[in-house]
Amino acid sequence: MNAQTQITEVTPSGETREMSYAEAIRDAMAIALDRDPTVVLMGEDIGTYGGAFQVTLDLIDRYGPDRVMDTPISELGGAGVAVGAALTGLKPIFEFQFSDFAALAMEQIVNQAAKLRYMLGGEAAVPVVFRMPAGSGTGAAAQHSQSFEAWFGHVPGLKVVQPSTPEDAKGLLLAALADPDPVIVFEHKLLYKMKGQVPTGYYTTPIGKAAIRRTGSDVTIVASAIMVHRALEAAAKLAEEGIEVEVIDLRSVRPIDRDTIIASVKKTGKLLCVYEGVRTLGVGAEISALIAESEAFDYLDAPIQRLGGAEAPIPYNPDLERAAVPQKADIETVARRLAKGEV
Amino acid sequence: MIVQDNIPFAIRHFAPAQLREALRKMHLIRLFEEGAEESYMRGLIHGTMHLSIGQEASAVATCMELTDADKITSTHRGHGHCIAKGADVGRMFAEFFGKETGYCHGRGGSMHIADVKTGNLGANGIVGGGLPIAVGAALTAKRLGRDDVTVCFFGDGANNEGAFHEALNMAAIWKLPVIFVCENNKYGMSTPATYATAVPNIADRAAAYSMPGVTVDGNDFSAVAEALHIAIARARAGEGPSLVENLTYRWRGHSKSDRNRYRTKDEIEDWMSRDPIARFRAELIAHGVLDAAGAEAVEAEAKQAVADGVEFAKASPAPGIADVTKFVHAEEAA
Amino acid sequence: MPTEVIMPKVDMDMATGTLAVWHVAEGEAVKKGAALFDIETDKAAMEVEAPASGILRQILAQPGQVVAVGSPVAYLYAEGEAVVALPAETPSAAPAVVAVAAPAAAPAAPAATPSQTVAQVANGAADLRATPVARRLAREAGLALSNLLGSGPRGRIQRADVETALARREAAALAASAPVFAPAVQAAPDEWTAQPGDLHVTTRKGTGTPLVLIHGFAADSTGWMALERALPRDLPLIRIDLPSHGRSPLRRLSGFADLAKTVVQVFDRVAEGPVHLLGHSLGGAVALAVSDIRPRQVKTLSLLSPAGLGPEIDGAALNGIARASTADSLAPWLKRLTARPDGISHDYAKAAMLARIDPDLRAAQQEWAQVLFPDGVQAFDLTAALERVTAPTLMIWGRDDRILPWKQALAAPGEVALHLLRGVGHVPHMEDPDTVAALLGRHMK
Ligand SMILES: Cc1ncc(C[n+]2csc(CCOP(=O)(O)OP(=O)(O)O)c2C)c(N)n1
Ligand SMILES: [Mg+2]
Repeated sequence: MNAQTQITEVTPSGETREMSYAEAIRDAMAIALDRDPTVVLMGEDIGTYGGAFQVTLDLIDRYGPDRVMDTPISELGGAGVAVGAALTGLKPIFEFQFSDFAALAMEQIVNQAAKLRYMLGGEAAVPVVFRMPAGSGTGAAAQHSQSFEAWFGHVPGLKVVQPSTPEDAKGLLLAALADPDPVIVFEHKLLYKMKGQVPTGYYTTPIGKAAIRRTGSDVTIVASAIMVHRALEAAAKLAEEGIEVEVIDLRSVRPIDRDTIIASVKKTGKLLCVYEGVRTLGVGAEISALIAESEAFDYLDAPIQRLGGAEAPIPYNPDLERAAVPQKADIETVARRLAKGEV
Repeated sequence: MIVQDNIPFAIRHFAPAQLREALRKMHLIRLFEEGAEESYMRGLIHGTMHLSIGQEASAVATCMELTDADKITSTHRGHGHCIAKGADVGRMFAEFFGKETGYCHGRGGSMHIADVKTGNLGANGIVGGGLPIAVGAALTAKRLGRDDVTVCFFGDGANNEGAFHEALNMAAIWKLPVIFVCENNKYGMSTPATYATAVPNIADRAAAYSMPGVTVDGNDFSAVAEALHIAIARARAGEGPSLVENLTYRWRGHSKSDRNRYRTKDEIEDWMSRDPIARFRAELIAHGVLDAAGAEAVEAEAKQAVADGVEFAKASPAPGIADVTKFVHAEEAA
Repeated sequence: MPTEVIMPKVDMDMATGTLAVWHVAEGEAVKKGAALFDIETDKAAMEVEAPASGILRQILAQPGQVVAVGSPVAYLYAEGEAVVALPAETPSAAPAVVAVAAPAAAPAAPAATPSQTVAQVANGAADLRATPVARRLAREAGLALSNLLGSGPRGRIQRADVETALARREAAALAASAPVFAPAVQAAPDEWTAQPGDLHVTTRKGTGTPLVLIHGFAADSTGWMALERALPRDLPLIRIDLPSHGRSPLRRLSGFADLAKTVVQVFDRVAEGPVHLLGHSLGGAVALAVSDIRPRQVKTLSLLSPAGLGPEIDGAALNGIARASTADSLAPWLKRLTARPDGISHDYAKAAMLARIDPDLRAAQQEWAQVLFPDGVQAFDLTAALERVTAPTLMIWGRDDRILPWKQALAAPGEVALHLLRGVGHVPHMEDPDTVAALLGRHMK
């Protein structure tokens, strides 16, 4: 019996505990480290520093530097080491300090991790997880604020998830780790402090399944990450006016949950996609296209609308930064106009 | 003669006015960053910032012999480089305040501060991002037959990026006029250089690319200036790149959100006792370049410049929201 | 022998179809049952399948061409089959191209500042805008989108518009079969052809001079059903839906003259040569105005309880009907229309309400009531016009009319034949269609 590969079950307790999104991710990683000796965490300053967003805080004290590994500032190399380790029996969770720096590691993620299983005719697997703090709103400007989910969503071989709640942050990370293929987890920086009830113990949230966060019959909003919360706020406001918005939390960019979106659009006939990535060629383009191609097309009662990031890098000035991505008021305005048949 | 030998390189090499100006810039950097820190804490500045307090000698001495035609590439910790290269602190503050009059018209902020007119090609949010760019700038100078050089600032953390190795190799094989200046402040964020880097000195890596590499006390103005003097001369003579490693220390945390869990108080205090500004100032006074009152006046000048800069920035207009996509591409000819 | 590919009739009231697009290029092979081309009728776009397998040759109709039903648009040849010359003389060889669909002119903006609810643009067939769900619902229900009003941006037809129209159609069908005024049998639906144009006009073919019918306020063409049954079967009929009524577009009105002008324009287009003209109530006033403006186009004029001949009118009833939003609030006013109020069952009121289900239509008609009958008074006077009319004129009035008092008939000059029916209220054509038909028959001879 090889102790290195023995999985210790950490059963769900059926209880929940209030945790922040960051704590939930940390909890997931601790559970993963507890139950599976092949799991290792890798990343820049994830040890003593606790990660740029303190997500790995104290884990090095509990699991030691052999399992919580600070890497040099070497994204391409670090990601590649994680790929090689995953290929041969470890299960690395590699943290990019900011998702923007994944651009430096594009080669290993896109050319290697995503394709190895296929290129080797199914003889190899790369069960690696890349964690990526993403999104704007922190004043970190153009090179620290991007939303790359569509980039990676474009690559067959990768799975891409975007949790919007603490519960999903934990469940999707554990699902990503259980997945036999590379999974990219986009964590929104502005959500790290968000609190919510999180089941204790081990559980997974299925990858590829959207969640309906609010039901409604007038307009469907498909949103992801922080936009889910902005959409929900807008929906609450619109409900006071008698407009019932259905808010779908996409959760998974690849694979995408076609059925849930199609069913909702067939019900409401109106679709608004809200996402933070640049509007053009973004996640909303894919959702719009899948509706246009599906049987839901015949149920559309207004042109599909997209609210996405401006066609610009994220600017530094706070007002410009806000203007560069959809805000609650934007969502409210477009959803209202859709509901009223004014679009 | 003996006395001559004891006089530091900088005192011998630069005119008193140049030395006075160097001291002014060092004070300016310190005061500017203290002012920025205060404004940050008052909520006037968005985002985060990386302060270089404690590293002023490295920035100013490195840029001592550079003209506006010479280029630098800078880093996320780039305020000092920017001021050393000649930028106006008013426009820098304006940038930090997100104003249209800022160096980047409010689009870039601290991490992207640049002043292309004085040859500063910009700070960088990407660790190691400036390394290949500097090589490209040096290539331009060589191809166009100009004698300007490029100084590439980078940190001890950056030397572990693939870009570092690729850039140094190309600079060497093409004998380009570029000087790689590593500001080794012992840490890349929280990670000690001794942990992250396989060689004891960053300068040791120069050998792998067949270029000279020296390690100097980065808090010793004259030592840095002398190392750069040699490297710049070599570059201008067409002999190719050099690597200079300035050993220094940042007094503040990595960024505004650093909780300082990886350094001891003792270590920080020890380095604070090696203040490069006090040291240079004392040196200037000791060698009669300035008297105490003169030094006070220099500092007062810098203070005034910072105060004026903040006022200018506060009074400046913010960019219009409608211009959020301005500067993405070249503007249409009117 | 090549197989003829024709413009198929795919709709009840389809005479022509516009060839929208070929799915197969000339010279290409196609399998029987594969999509060959799309047509657009005034109802919907539709795919036409290849009637046989073969190679498509001799395309006769290009996209955009309007082709008469049954005309060939191309031929399918078997592999290797010699191409035969098109028999040029045979009329069926060249497609009966009716017209090349041109983009409809931009609809003129109404003079009055359009209110959100009333000012809407009717959809011309060529630039018809409709959402996919509106198209699907209309297609499934066999409803012509071109007859609908779009409430969306730039006149786009949305789901609600189709649903309103369907509700109205259903109500009309119910009303037609309602026991009170209408006979039990419904008209054969393919009797009627919708005419393109600004107002909804339907025609029934027949022989001889057609009779043009103009309905009253808050009614529509379906209200003529009982009378149509009683009239000779071969009498050609032309029914006009007034604006903001029936299936015509909603429109603001500046006054009676505005209404008369609008109808005259449509009348000019639909009446080729002199016609018999019949109007009821407000439609009677309109018919009178048309006769005054186009004396040579009107062979005979018949007026049923016409408006415009005196100030009195039951304004409360008009407003009540226009405003009513439920069958319960509508029924009491409907009862005022007839001399036999018990005939207005709850089901009848419900059906009538369904026809008025569109709140925009009701809002528009309320505005009309304000403009035409302010303060419960008829604000237009056509007695002078009645004096001028040269066509032989028949006037029928119910003695128990509680909307317009029959005594207003006395404003008519001596040449007008006047019939006052006993036990009849404001709607003689519904209450006593046989008598009305008989009187009309004699008058039109
Ligand atoms: C490619 C990339 N990886 C990581 C970071 C995050 N980061 C910013 S500064 C920094 C430390 C850089 O250390 P060093 O090069 O020594 O410069 P110093 O901060 O010490 O001046 C890190 C990890 C980044 N900005 N870019
Ligand atoms: Mg460093």
